[in-house]
Amino acid sequence: MSKKSNVIVEHLRRAQMNDLLAAGKRLDGRGVTESRPMKIETDVIKKANGSALVTLGNTQVIAGVKVQVDKPFPELPDKGLLICSAEVLPLASAYAEPGPPDEDAIELARVVDRGIRESEMIDLKKLVLIPGEKVLAVFADVSVLNVGGNLFDATSYAVVSALLTSKIPKMEVKDGKIVDTGKLMETPIDAVPISVTMARIGDTILVDPTSEEEACMDARVTMTTDAEGRVCAVQKGGTGTFSVEQINHVVATAISKGEEIRAKIKSVTGSG
Amino acid sequence: MKRLSKLINEQGIRTDGRKVNELRPIKIEVGVLKNADGSAYIEFGKNKIIVAVYGPKEVHPKHMALPDRSVLRCRYHMSPFSVQERKNPAPSRREIEISKVTRDALEPALMLDDYPRTAIDVYIEVLQADGGSRCTGIAGASVALADAGINMRDMVAACAAGKVDDTIVLDINDEEDKEGQADMPIAYLPNLNQVSLMQVDGKLSKEEYRKCLDTAIEGCKKVYQLQKEALMKKYFGDEIDVGGSE
Amino acid sequence: MQEIKRRYVVPGDLIGDGNVRPVSNVVRIGDKIFATRVGIAEVSREGARVIPLSGVYIPKVGDLVIGKIIDHSAMAWEVNINSCFPGHLPAQDVFGREFSSARDDMTAKFRVGDMIACKIAAFDRSRDPLLTVADKDLGKIPKGEIVRISPTRVPRLIGKRGSMIQTIEQSTKCGIIIGQNGITVVSGPTPDGILLAVKAIKMVEEEAHTANLTQRVKDMLQSVTGEKIE
Repeated sequence: MSKKSNVIVEHLRRAQMNDLLAAGKRLDGRGVTESRPMKIETDVIKKANGSALVTLGNTQVIAGVKVQVDKPFPELPDKGLLICSAEVLPLASAYAEPGPPDEDAIELARVVDRGIRESEMIDLKKLVLIPGEKVLAVFADVSVLNVGGNLFDATSYAVVSALLTSKIPKMEVKDGKIVDTGKLMETPIDAVPISVTMARIGDTILVDPTSEEEACMDARVTMTTDAEGRVCAVQKGGTGTFSVEQINHVVATAISKGEEIRAKIKSVTGSG
Repeated sequence: MKRLSKLINEQGIRTDGRKVNELRPIKIEVGVLKNADGSAYIEFGKNKIIVAVYGPKEVHPKHMALPDRSVLRCRYHMSPFSVQERKNPAPSRREIEISKVTRDALEPALMLDDYPRTAIDVYIEVLQADGGSRCTGIAGASVALADAGINMRDMVAACAAGKVDDTIVLDINDEEDKEGQADMPIAYLPNLNQVSLMQVDGKLSKEEYRKCLDTAIEGCKKVYQLQKEALMKKYFGDEIDVGGSE
Repeated sequence: MQEIKRRYVVPGDLIGDGNVRPVSNVVRIGDKIFATRVGIAEVSREGARVIPLSGVYIPKVGDLVIGKIIDHSAMAWEVNINSCFPGHLPAQDVFGREFSSARDDMTAKFRVGDMIACKIAAFDRSRDPLLTVADKDLGKIPKGEIVRISPTRVPRLIGKRGSMIQTIEQSTKCGIIIGQNGITVVSGPTPDGILLAVKAIKMVEEEAHTANLTQRVKDMLQSVTGEKIE
């Protein structure tokens, strides 16, 4: 049974799911636009510059932010670095194997990275120490601890919460050398991007799918929006399709749910 | 590299305020991960480690299965944000060695013959490291294995002792690990009175070795009490008083 | 009167000395008997055993289990029976000895995703468990809600001579099939009845190690249905 990388949902359960969906309800009692209960704890890893443990239903992920002096990309000499990565640990599910990230883990990391980068959440220009030579690099690494569906949103919320509460070292340039002043400063934040992932099962679009719903879905889409209601990053996944009407509905939902969740994250991280 | 100041002051107090025979604060929670068959979250001081056990389960690839017993596989891994300088997530040689000695430390306690043609996977993830993480991992793994309901002839407790400023101390922290004179992580089966992990880094005379080993084992016995309490709490509730064996 | 000493134990706890007969989930080392699991240790005239509170289901010949069809080869279905081994249900068990994969369509009988009630026909250390549906009340489960519990709680859910499960069935008017592998199927005429049955099953799983559980389950059921239970 573990050779199958996708969970087989029994027909009895699928039938139950479809009966409920016809009435606009889901197996766990939620409505189609309802998210599962979410808990965010920040500053859980004191040795990191910032961190956040996010529990979204049964999904659990932990993000850690490390800030270090590094060389900028040659073609971007006046910008600091932001590197997001994610690992679905073998801890997290019977189907996760140890080893280099597979295509799902890589897609997860790149989608989360895009959402943060394209929204310009961090002003990378403020991370420059010596242009073209030394900049601050912000590493945001996520370890997925338990797979329970919707890794995209849980991972994104963890990175965003960790960045919002990160304290980075205040560096000075003295005689061409980088000196750590020993003081800390806030990360230069310009935006709070919020991702909302939806799954299509038949004609119904569900927000924040569980593992079971993902195993039964035709297609999914993750959409990241900013506080101005602009869409910054989108990823459609799965082998099914969306109609144009459904996509318009997805955009509206991503913006309104995004507002709701942004308020929650801002209040938890004290950046409201 | 000689330190300018001492690691133990004149009152016998260490850099983190402890006496020489004192353990760091330890926290153990059982059954913290929903998908795993058994799991534990464990802290030794600033070490924060989460352990998951999957098994006994089918072995893939099939040719790795043994006909008469289970295959025990251990993975000790550090998250990139767990140490001072961000660590590349790919397994380092150190992590691979620790994975191996961890497996060797746990195997004597497990009754692998009871589960032929299966595998038991132990995943130890270090979320924050501070000296003695391999012992923290082993202690957590033993609890997670018991939580998974795998037949064990004994629990496995673990603790390190070391030599710092010419003194044998219990449960060395990160600073003492880096700047001390010797370091001895130990894993111990408390009811069978057997040692299953023993490594030494540094110079110890015969007497110092004996004292270091005894100190580490005393530490292991204290860790064992906490492992028992944590399991009792999860399975039997808070009212249970953990007495000695009858 | 037989005296049974009961105690909560973790692996490695000393249970008795060499005079006691080891029964289950204990190990003799030298002249001492130790517990090998987290659970309730019982020492009686019959010997020493530990009733475990966690652990994967290990198949036993004759057990009724609920499985999920996950694949099939030309000759057999592969069935997930919630154990460390996959179960195999030979096509011949269903189609008879004259089964021919050219003529008989396996998917017409059982498809991937179907749930079946079956028995462990054969199992030993050298091979995967063999299943059979050739008995009354076995075969595809057409409807019902699936509730998964730890296999170690199944004896408690069944109760002495079926007393616990019968109490729940009568009070909720539901039919409950219990697989020894911890998978149960609840079916009944009303959604409320099913919900209550599921609640009762989960309550037994949570509190299996406590005393007076049967009375507390009865009290819970009575408080919801308003009907007294004998």
